[in-house]
Amino acid sequence: MISKGVLFVVVVLYTAFAAGPFLWVATMALRTTSEITLDHYAWPTTLHWEKFPQAWFNSNYHVYFENSVLVVVAAVAVLTVVGAMAAHCFARYRFRINRLLYFVIFSAIIFPPQITIIALFQTLVQYGLYNSLIGLTLVYIAVQLPLTVYVLESFFARIPADLFDAARIDGYPEWQIFWKVSLPIALPAIATTVILNTILLWNEFLYAVVLITDEAKRTLPLGIQRFMGDQLEDVGMIATGLIIAIIPVVLIYAFFSEKLIQGMTAGAVK
Amino acid sequence: MATVSLRGLSKRYAGSDLLAVDSVDLEIAHGEFMVLLGPSGCGKSTTLRMIAGLESISGGDLLIDERRVNDVPAKERDIAMVFQSYALYPHMTVFDNLAFGLRRREVSAKEIARRVNEVAGTLGLSDLLKRKPHALSGGQRQRVALGRAIVRDPKVFLFDEPLSNLDAALRVGMRGELIKLHHRLGVTMIYVTHDQVEAMTMGDRICIMNGGKVVQIGAPLDVYREPVDTFVASFLGSPPANLLPAHFNGAALAVGETKLPVARRQAPNDVIFAIRPEDIRIEAPDPHAHGEVLAVEPLGAETIVRLRLAGIASDVLVRGPRTISARAGDRAPIAFDLSAAHLFDPVTTRRIPHSI
Repeated sequence: MISKGVLFVVVVLYTAFAAGPFLWVATMALRTTSEITLDHYAWPTTLHWEKFPQAWFNSNYHVYFENSVLVVVAAVAVLTVVGAMAAHCFARYRFRINRLLYFVIFSAIIFPPQITIIALFQTLVQYGLYNSLIGLTLVYIAVQLPLTVYVLESFFARIPADLFDAARIDGYPEWQIFWKVSLPIALPAIATTVILNTILLWNEFLYAVVLITDEAKRTLPLGIQRFMGDQLEDVGMIATGLIIAIIPVVLIYAFFSEKLIQGMTAGAVK
Repeated sequence: MATVSLRGLSKRYAGSDLLAVDSVDLEIAHGEFMVLLGPSGCGKSTTLRMIAGLESISGGDLLIDERRVNDVPAKERDIAMVFQSYALYPHMTVFDNLAFGLRRREVSAKEIARRVNEVAGTLGLSDLLKRKPHALSGGQRQRVALGRAIVRDPKVFLFDEPLSNLDAALRVGMRGELIKLHHRLGVTMIYVTHDQVEAMTMGDRICIMNGGKVVQIGAPLDVYREPVDTFVASFLGSPPANLLPAHFNGAALAVGETKLPVARRQAPNDVIFAIRPEDIRIEAPDPHAHGEVLAVEPLGAETIVRLRLAGIASDVLVRGPRTISARAGDRAPIAFDLSAAHLFDPVTTRRIPHSI
């Protein structure tokens, strides 16, 4: 009983801690900047729903949103398929440089993006990919691939080898074993990487700000940054933009969360 | 049905100097139930996996129906395999698990349904077809694994310790079902196990392996009664055969301080005297020796008695009737059934033929 009570208090406190700022931004999204300047924490008196179409059409959010969706969907799709294939190979096949290759890919994780960004910038310029959505997508894929392979490899490695042998005896070639056995079994882990990559890339700012300059090619985080001037910050519009930006992430999470929990607790309960 | 021939079959894993399987010769006839028996690491599973096509063959030839299949991939060998872990696809229903192999072979959906239902019927799985493996008991999973092999109607069945994960009671039941299945289908089956009871009860013949080599091949009782070396004598039988150091002394064989009337024929002076626990009679009217009883283990149907004989370091195990009255500490008279005993060469460990 006591432990349940303590748990309840902890959950309430944690929810307040996590959801408080979110609610605050949500209320600000419905207030104008002048209202916010008067009182930062007041509840909205008149609900300014018109700020959403305003942000969407007048402040170019629809372009940023479209760009973000394009880049993130393409990057996550490629990451998931290529990452799963690579993980399957690392976990499944014995070949000479398996562990060496795995180490090389994984070691890319230890470099902070600030170290590679200048070299990356120059590379993209040379290949004519600078200031293009394709270039940004490729960079996102490269940056997130090691972690994706790492998460999936550990999951794939736990799939008993007998299953693959059984499928081979059932007559399936390796390629189909991947699609019909490995992939469906690894679905919880794949959902985990999809959510992880989507959220990370959806919020990604550093690479985008360095590699994109065109107004028409900005992604959402860059779009929101546009409202932070040197002299004046349009806090109200920033809040509206943030809420627009958050909606897809919440939807993706709601869709995949059950699988995500399965993925995180896999093996915990037999 | 098919014959399976292993001719000098060898396996060497990359980066290892040792042969995991060392030139195994084995001819398996049409419809035969062949058991590969041995301790863990003896190469029996590797041999099976080479027959299945899951392991590459380092040397020798593998023939199925007189066709060399060394380089034929697993899927084209027309074999089915039942794994120790069952290896059921966890994301598929029982029906899909059974149908998976047929779908690949482009059997029509109608035919697949017919065959799956038929096999499910014979294995008592009809009510479980919509379930997923995690919702099945161990015995049911085992049956699905078996069904997956049967439904394919393969030339050869391979079993890799399929009963090891079942509890004792289920194991006895499944053993009986596998024997019945073999009679009904009449197909060639190769069965790997480390359990000598399974080997003795199920096999038409047993192939005993040790250290990657075949030690002895033969019908279960022949192997049991006529072991070729001390390894087979001690591996088969529970409790195993007594292996006692002995030497010839004049016209008698001295086992410790016990003199046995055994004439020396072509044997060396020092030998190993081997006798199974059931071939020693305890509380015999005309004893060869008296032993000090160390422990009595009544098993209900029989009694295992552990004795010490004068002059022998290792204990002697005797399988007696349940009626024996000896207690620990007693001196019990024992008699050896010398017609069932064997002599082994202590250097080569091989049996010395016609020595008793």
